Amino acid sequence: MEGVEMNKSYKLLIIDDNKETLSMLHAFFSKKNYEVVSSLSGLDGLKLFESEKKGFDLVITDLVMPNISGVAVISIIKKKNPDTPVIAITGWGEHPEALASEAKADLILSKPLQLDELEVSILDLLSIKK
Amino acid sequence: MEKDKQTAPTIIGLSPNVVKTKELINHVADTGLNIIICGESGVGKEVVAQNLYHRSPRKGKPFVKINCAALPEGLLESELFGFEQGAFTGAERRKRGKFELAHGGVLLLDEIGDMSLSLQAKLLHVLQSGEFSRLGSEKELKTDTWILAATNHELEEDIKNEKFREDLYYRLNIIKIYLSPLRERPEDIPVLIDYYLKKYSPRFRNNSLNPDYSLIEKLQEYHWPGNVRELQNVLKRILVLGNWEEIVDELTRSTYAKNDSTSDKASSKEPSVVSDILNSADGPLQNLESFSLKDIKRRALNRVEKEAISYVLDRTDWNRSKAAKILKISYKTLLYKISDLKIVPPKKF
Repeated sequence: MEGVEMNKSYKLLIIDDNKETLSMLHAFFSKKNYEVVSSLSGLDGLKLFESEKKGFDLVITDLVMPNISGVAVISIIKKKNPDTPVIAITGWGEHPEALASEAKADLILSKPLQLDELEVSILDLLSIKK
Repeated sequence: MEKDKQTAPTIIGLSPNVVKTKELINHVADTGLNIIICGESGVGKEVVAQNLYHRSPRKGKPFVKINCAALPEGLLESELFGFEQGAFTGAERRKRGKFELAHGGVLLLDEIGDMSLSLQAKLLHVLQSGEFSRLGSEKELKTDTWILAATNHELEEDIKNEKFREDLYYRLNIIKIYLSPLRERPEDIPVLIDYYLKKYSPRFRNNSLNPDYSLIEKLQEYHWPGNVRELQNVLKRILVLGNWEEIVDELTRSTYAKNDSTSDKASSKEPSVVSDILNSADGPLQNLESFSLKDIKRRALNRVEKEAISYVLDRTDWNRSKAAKILKISYKTLLYKISDLKIVPPKKF
């Protein structure tokens, strides 16, 4: 089974209410052969997370979003599936960041994002997970 | 909301806003994460809170509500945290606060936007640490309380104006549920009417009391400043008076009359309170049965109050603090009366 997984691409869930950021991330990681599922809201993102039978290898979420914030997304995902690494991205001040680490986000990055660095962090987290 | 605690009050409506609200409730009720419920007065914020509670694992544990606008700062603090005997003059014996009473259950902080900044700081400390102490005691007590907060304020604006702490906002705003005002979801009005008529008066299950489509349309065009609560009150009055046209006309007329009147006294053109009430009783005779002196008295009193308050507001150019002083009522009471009696400012304000 391990051998199969080595060849399989990683499956990412990306949640951001900003369309441009979302499509940028989607395009970048699709091009790098990740399997990417993306969502414009916390609620839809959680629904995708819950309905995906095989699960996601990693989740990237924005923090400040209407209705269900990124902090809520992280808390709910970590409660259901503590082993799934979650990266929080934020363009705001430090308050949601503090909350994101309380919610046990594995990594918090601020916008603007350096995509290559983001990918390095993702690979790091995925290798720790293994 | 006055209902028994065994079942949650139903959330009625089919507008996208109501559908989304229900979906959010179902999705987050079991998370225990802090939630802010926003929307104008009367939209049903407490109903949402009750629904969250009833769908959560905390159902059956205490559901404690406190209105942060109704109490002066010092009293609100002692209500929230409790106090030890001798903590202040008049503290004759120890009293438990709402945080202790809500332990294991839910604490609904209603009108959180009206909480003072210093109390906001204390609340933030409790939310961060999960600990608090009674007034007059240094002992920290652990609290396991699910915090729901409700407000009709635009908290983002309050933050800009330094009336609300940004850090507290982020801590409460883990999940936000926003209820639209009724005027923005007129498609809910027919369903709400149907539901409440049946609820208030099972006798009227037949269709004889159901209004014409044209009346429903008028009600859908009305701006409902008091939202669902106002609609409930209107329907209760219709059940008493049994006359849709009369009450729907009154609603729409009061809007137009007040919009037209600036300095000239529109009220003097209206019939006197007595004739108005007699006229409304003059309709089909069977309606007289549903009349009572108490009801007439209430209607008359409302009318007089409305005229008096409108007069003072006109004279003070709608300076509501000035008007409250002249009327010798509190600012809050005045705001409540303005909305309850549907007093509408002239267009220029």
